[in-house]
Parts: sequence; structure tokens; C-alpha cells
Amino acid sequence: MDRLKFIVKRLAFMVVMLLGVATIVFFLTKLVPGDPVTANLSQRALNDPEIVEAYKIKYGLDKPVFMQYLLYIRNLLRLDLGTSIRTNKTIMWELGRCFPATAELAIFSIILAAVFGIFFGIISAMKRNSIIDQLVRAISVCGVSIPGFWFALLVLFFFYYKLQIMPGPGRLSTAFSSPEAVTGFFTIDALIEGDIPKFLDALKHLILPGFVLAAFTMGLITRTARSNLLDVLSTDYIRTAKAKGTPGRRMIMHHALGNALIPVLTVIGLGFGNLLGGMVLIETIFNWPGVGQFAYNSVKALDYPGVIGVSLLIALNYMIINTVVDILYGLIDPRVRTK
Amino acid sequence: MKKLLALLIAMCMVASLAACGGSGSSGGDATEAAAETEAAGGDEAEAPAEGEEAEAEAPAEGGDNTVVIAVISGFSAMDPAYVYETTPTLMVNACYETLYKFDTGVDTPQPCLVDSCEFSEDGKDVTMKLKPEVKFASGNDMTSADVAFSLMRLKNIKGNPSFLMDNVESVEVVDDDTFIIHQTTADSSLLAKLTYGSCSIVDSAIVKENGGTDAEDASTADTARDYLDTTSAGSGMYIMTSYVPDEEMILEKNYNYWGEQTNVDKYIIRFEGDANTQMMGLKAGDVDIALNLNDDTMDELEGAENVTTENTPTKTISFIMMNEDPEIGGPVSNKLVQQAIRLAVDYEGMQNVCGRGAITPKSIFQVGFLGSAGELDVATARDLDKAKALLAEAGYPDGFDIDLPVSDLDMEGIPMLDIAQKVKEDLSEIGINVNIVQQNWSGGYGDAYRAGDLGFSVMYWGIDYNDPNVQLAFLPGESVGLRCRWQAEGYEPVIEKMNEIIQETDDTARGEKLLEIQDMIADDCPWIVVAQASSHIGYSNRLEGVAFTDVYRVDIRTINVK
Repeated sequence: MDRLKFIVKRLAFMVVMLLGVATIVFFLTKLVPGDPVTANLSQRALNDPEIVEAYKIKYGLDKPVFMQYLLYIRNLLRLDLGTSIRTNKTIMWELGRCFPATAELAIFSIILAAVFGIFFGIISAMKRNSIIDQLVRAISVCGVSIPGFWFALLVLFFFYYKLQIMPGPGRLSTAFSSPEAVTGFFTIDALIEGDIPKFLDALKHLILPGFVLAAFTMGLITRTARSNLLDVLSTDYIRTAKAKGTPGRRMIMHHALGNALIPVLTVIGLGFGNLLGGMVLIETIFNWPGVGQFAYNSVKALDYPGVIGVSLLIALNYMIINTVVDILYGLIDPRVRTK
Repeated sequence: MKKLLALLIAMCMVASLAACGGSGSSGGDATEAAAETEAAGGDEAEAPAEGEEAEAEAPAEGGDNTVVIAVISGFSAMDPAYVYETTPTLMVNACYETLYKFDTGVDTPQPCLVDSCEFSEDGKDVTMKLKPEVKFASGNDMTSADVAFSLMRLKNIKGNPSFLMDNVESVEVVDDDTFIIHQTTADSSLLAKLTYGSCSIVDSAIVKENGGTDAEDASTADTARDYLDTTSAGSGMYIMTSYVPDEEMILEKNYNYWGEQTNVDKYIIRFEGDANTQMMGLKAGDVDIALNLNDDTMDELEGAENVTTENTPTKTISFIMMNEDPEIGGPVSNKLVQQAIRLAVDYEGMQNVCGRGAITPKSIFQVGFLGSAGELDVATARDLDKAKALLAEAGYPDGFDIDLPVSDLDMEGIPMLDIAQKVKEDLSEIGINVNIVQQNWSGGYGDAYRAGDLGFSVMYWGIDYNDPNVQLAFLPGESVGLRCRWQAEGYEPVIEKMNEIIQETDDTARGEKLLEIQDMIADDCPWIVVAQASSHIGYSNRLEGVAFTDVYRVDIRTINVK
């Protein structure tokens, strides 16, 4: 019951936060020194007042800014995010098109980051100060420090261009058509179609961008998992378990890991939010038709509805992820639940 | 919980390993998949029934005849009445036809849908007859009513390219095959304008069914854009069967095509903004034609066995602009300073900055256009001593400091910033200290540039339509001329000559007048054209008939698989 109350409270808070984000982003976009009319109409079109007027009316730019804001909020409450000035499609349609691509890549990346990050963290903690530990720590520092765009170009150059063992940019090879959209995740939709070659192709296309995106979060997870595990390993109950002769692997997996994982979960949650929000460069380099690429193109064209739509989506993601992480805390650690 | 976590981890690792293990050759899998479908599907794709769209499923039967083109995105519309940017003309040319077209390597518009064309004595009215055999992809016959609808819809929709119809008063339908274009004044560039993708003739029955109108209130009443942005309604060689913005577009063969077809069954147009990505795709065989390469990527492709590269001059120019208004331009509004800067630019070095194939025209009229004054002799065009003397004469013997705002745009892959840096380097040799100020196009630069509020800058210009008259916009009092506040006052003879050029329907006479007008503004022009850019394209050797054209980028109608 308490948990239900907690979730309802968080959901209500989320609505208020989203309205706040919408307000801030709306007025920020209006502060940008540029005019969407001049950004999207040609000089010759701008010379014709009728064309300019028709354009302004079409996108509601003929009204005072505050009126535009009220209309935007009214439409937002009706889940209408407006129409893209750049593509002439509704923002909901655009986000619906882009989000599955981003989500599929982000989920793949976070799984890679979590699995390998925790694995490396455990190895590193178990072999503390050994060569393996030093190696893992060096890798994790590299993962955290390498600029994503540079790493992306590098892996593309080597694995796709030079070695030709990985597919190039995009979500699917040209020999395959996009699977019929059920979830929007090409891997899952290909499986639903029963097309295994297409599934494998989609999965292969996830590897390079997924690996690049995972590098940063994986580094963080490795470091957090290692340091937390070392902390837990120095506690009294672990010492007692050791004294009772519990084998090392069993001690780690059954006694230490659960407690060490709680902060790691926070890192995974935040990392996932970062992945969803920080894909602009990676999606552009890998020609991944996701939210990041849409955001980049919207900013370039001063497409206000597009920019606000993406901002809201990213904010919503963060809020949902944080809520899920809070709930998961309780599942992993009963002490958190009782608090 | 722990078991669940362990299971999840195990599944992820298995999935990752499975994917890695099978990644020996992505191309191999793709080919295998294509081969499987080929085996199942037979040799020849069957023509769909009349009006039926070809299926978008890939790989197509005869998958070898699918061609993949990589091109930058950055456009907003596929509805011909809204098409204005460069990239969509590639696709529009494949799906639609215009009354006239530019054939590759031919400088004058050639009849496409038109059988005959006759100008009235005053040049204002043009009577044209359609070819009788033309059919739309839907199977409908093309008639004069479709022509009138398409051109008047373009005019009344008041979109970016509607200016092409500014001089057209009406289109009169005489009979099914004959129509008359009534113009306000004679326009020597009419036929060139009619080649532009926006003047495509659309299937009016289908467009009307989907909310299209050519009425005067089309700017608010027409709702066909949603439909035409995702499918095509033309008579071209291909049909657009799928378009996902910023991702890809599929063009499939129009089996109702009235003319001779090529052997390419299907085009996949991939929107890839990065030259490196395009180059890697081309070399790896994933891409057949890469349209936005640059010097570095061309170097990388040199010697590649399966690829041909071409550098072809475009009609896109980059220029230095100097504001004529002393309050905005400061010292560069002085004619002597403008001449000094003109003499101080290292045009040869500028060509190197702009990449192989770049040339320098003598004036704002590009090399390749009717009436062009030809190429500048870059070896002798620079004279630093004379430039310094002119600066001293203008009252700046020690030079001066000046800001140079520059946008984040690029011209055929050459960042404006690179050109600005070269300008800075060149002008430092005559004592002008240039301070480069970087600005975003959409973050204020574009507004200031178009409003004529920039004092000193570098920018580029791509042609709106393939005719020298398009360059008349640079003259005093005209839309581009006003960007550096070059007013018409005091230039009455130039304006008179310009009007003569517009109305001169004899090309020989027009060419002479174009040369005269260039002489008239040679010393006064606040523009310095620093280079005419080159296009860098690469294509697979399995193709033939690939060539760059200014109008369509590449003309899909001429490409065949060997």
C-alpha cells in the first residue's frame, strides 16, 4: 500500500515537473537569437509578405509569445506536441518514429554496460592489486575518458572499414527491408516476423554503436562495483563468513554482491538516462534514426516544437528511470523497503 | 531475484556472443539473404497491375539491380510544390517529370513532356503541346489540365519555390494536349525555370483526392502535402514507395512508364550526412553512389578497384561580401578598400582550400553559364603592392581591424570557417587584421545576413534554377544585392540592362548583354567571388551513366547496372 502511495505521489510529481520543463524549454527556445521564419523560408519567399504571413499562421508564430505559450500548454495537456516546422509531421509521430530506435540502442548499451561493468568490477575486486585489477581499472578509466564521437569514428574505421567484420551505419543492411513495426525494435520485430537473418543483422548493427555508448557507463559501473564490493568485503559479516570457511565465489555471489549492487543500480539508472539523452553525436555518426538525430536536425532548423518535444521526452525518461530505480532499491534491499 | 538477475546476465551474454560470432561478414549475410529471396522469387519482377504500387519489400527480385545512394539529408519536403533544397531534386527527378529537363552535359533545357513550344511575338505567351503518350504512374493520361493544376498550385501555395511562377499570370487549357502559359512580361529563363523539380507535373486527380487545390487560397486550403511527402503522384521512371525523414527513401520502378526505362529496379536513398561514412560505405560495397564526398575522402578512394570518383565544377560559389553602408561595413564600404581586398586575395590558395576541381570565375556569373566571362587568371590576379597602395589612398596606410562573422554552414563540404581563415591569412599581408566571429546560421547569422546587417563576411550561394538570370539577384537593389545594402540608386543603366536581359529571348543577344553588365559592375561590385566549388562524387564500377549535374545532383534516368 505504501509503495502504491509512493508511486502515485511520484507520478503526480512527474506531471508538475514536465510542465516546468516545458515552460523553461519553451521560453529558452524563444530566447535563441534566430527566427524560425527566416531559418525555414528562402530569401525570395521572405520578400513576399503573403508567404511570410501564411507561414506564421500555419505554425502559430503570428501570436504573441505568451499566447503561444498558453496554446502550447493547452495542447500539451491534450498530448498534442504540435507539428514540426522542419518535417511538417506531428511531433508525436516523429518521436514515435525515433524513440524505438533510440530505446533499442540504449537498452542494448545499458545491458552491455551493466553485464560487463559488474563482471569487471567483481573480477577487479576479487583480484585486487593484481595485473588483472590494474588492467580492468585502466580499461574503465579509458571508457570514462574517451570522447564518444572520437571513439565512434575509431571503431567504425577499424571494425567496419578496415577489418570489415562489422556492419556499417544504420539499423539494417540494405538487403533487408525494415520489419513491420510492432514494437519499433528491429530485433524484436524481426523475431516476430520469424526472420532470423534479419534479426541477426539488426543485432549486429547494434554492436558498434552499442559498444561505443556503453563504454562510458561501463567504466563508471566497473569502478563503482569494484569500490563497493571492496567496502562490503571488509565488513564484519563477510569476515565472519570467511572465518566459517565459505568459499570465495559463494561469498561474493551470495553474501557480498547484493549489498554492493545498490549504488551500482543508481549508476545504471543515471547511465541509462544519459544514454537516452546523450545520443546526438553517436546517432549522427552511426546514422541511427533516433531521438538524438532528430534533436540535432530540429536544433539546426530552429524547429521549436521538435526541440521542446525532445526535451520533454528526455525529462520524462529521467523521471521514469529514477522512479524505477527507487522501486528496485526496495526489491534488492529489504531495509530500504521498511524505511 | 538473484536467480532472475543471473538468468538475465546469461541471456545478454549469449545474445552478444551470438551476434559477435556471426559477424564475420555483414555483407555476406545480406547477400545470402538476397540470394535466398532471389531463388524463391524467380528472375523477373512482375509488373503490378495498373495503378497498383510496387511492393516495398527488399531485397527486390533481381536484387543486383538495386542501387543504394548515400546523400545528405537536411530537407523538409517531397511535395514538388514545396521542394526547394538541393537534395530532393534527385528524387523528384526520378518520380516526376517536368515540361523541360536538363540532360546531362547539355547546357540548354530540352523538351521532356512537351512535343512543341511556340513563343508569341512579344514573348509573353507560350503555347505548348504535350506528348500524347504520357501516362502517370497511376495509369491516368497526362493532360493540359494536369499542367495547369500543377503550375498554378505551385504559384498559389506560396511556398519557398513559388517565386518561379511569379511572372506566370495563368495557364490556359486549350484542349487535352495544348495549353498556353500567359506571363506578365517576357522571361528569357522560363524554360530553365520549368526544369526545376517544383514545376513537376502531378497527377491532378490523385492530388485533388488527397486535398490538393490550385485555387488562389491554396496556401491555406491545400492539404495534399502530407500525402505527397510520403508517396509520389507523377509520371517519372520511379515511384516513391517509402520515405522516412532523415533515414531512407525507397524508389521502385514505375511499370506504367511511358518512355524507355533503365535496368535499375529499385533505389534505396540513404541519408548520411558524413563524408567519411559515405566513403566507407562506398568502399565496403554497401553504397553504390556517394554524393557528398570531400577532398580527404576522395584521397582515400584513390586507387580503389571497385570505385570511380569524379570532381565536377558546380555552379555553387563562395564569396566575400562587403557592406556598402558605411555605418555597417565601416572601412570595407569604401570602394578603394574593396578593390584592395579584391587584389589581396590569394585565389590559387583559395582553390586549394575549396578542394580539387574548384575554379574561380571572373565575376558573379559562374563559369558554365551563358554569358560567363570565364575563369579568372589566378596566377596573376593577386597584387599585394597595388592593394597596399589602394589602402593607403583610401586613408588606411596601416590597415585596420575588422570583424568577420562566419556561419557554421559549408559549401559542398567546405566549411565557411576554412574560407574565412584563408581570408584572414591573405588580408593580414596588407595590414588588415581580421577577427573571425563564429555564429550559427539559425542562431542569428542567417537573419543578419538576409537583413543586410553584416558588415564583412564570407558566404556561399547555390543557384535556384539553372540559368544565368538567377545571378541577377546579386545586382544593386535586387534581393541578394541588398544583403550588402547595394542600393539601386545611381545604377539605373545597370537596372535597365538587367531588364533587357530578363526579356531577351534570343540567347546570343542575351549572352552579349550578360557580358556587358559584368563590365558595368566590375569595379563597383561589393562581392568578391573566391571560388566556384566542385562536387566530389564516387560510384561503384558496376554502374554506368553516373554523372554529376547541377540540377539533379545525378540524373537517375541515365543510370544502368552494367
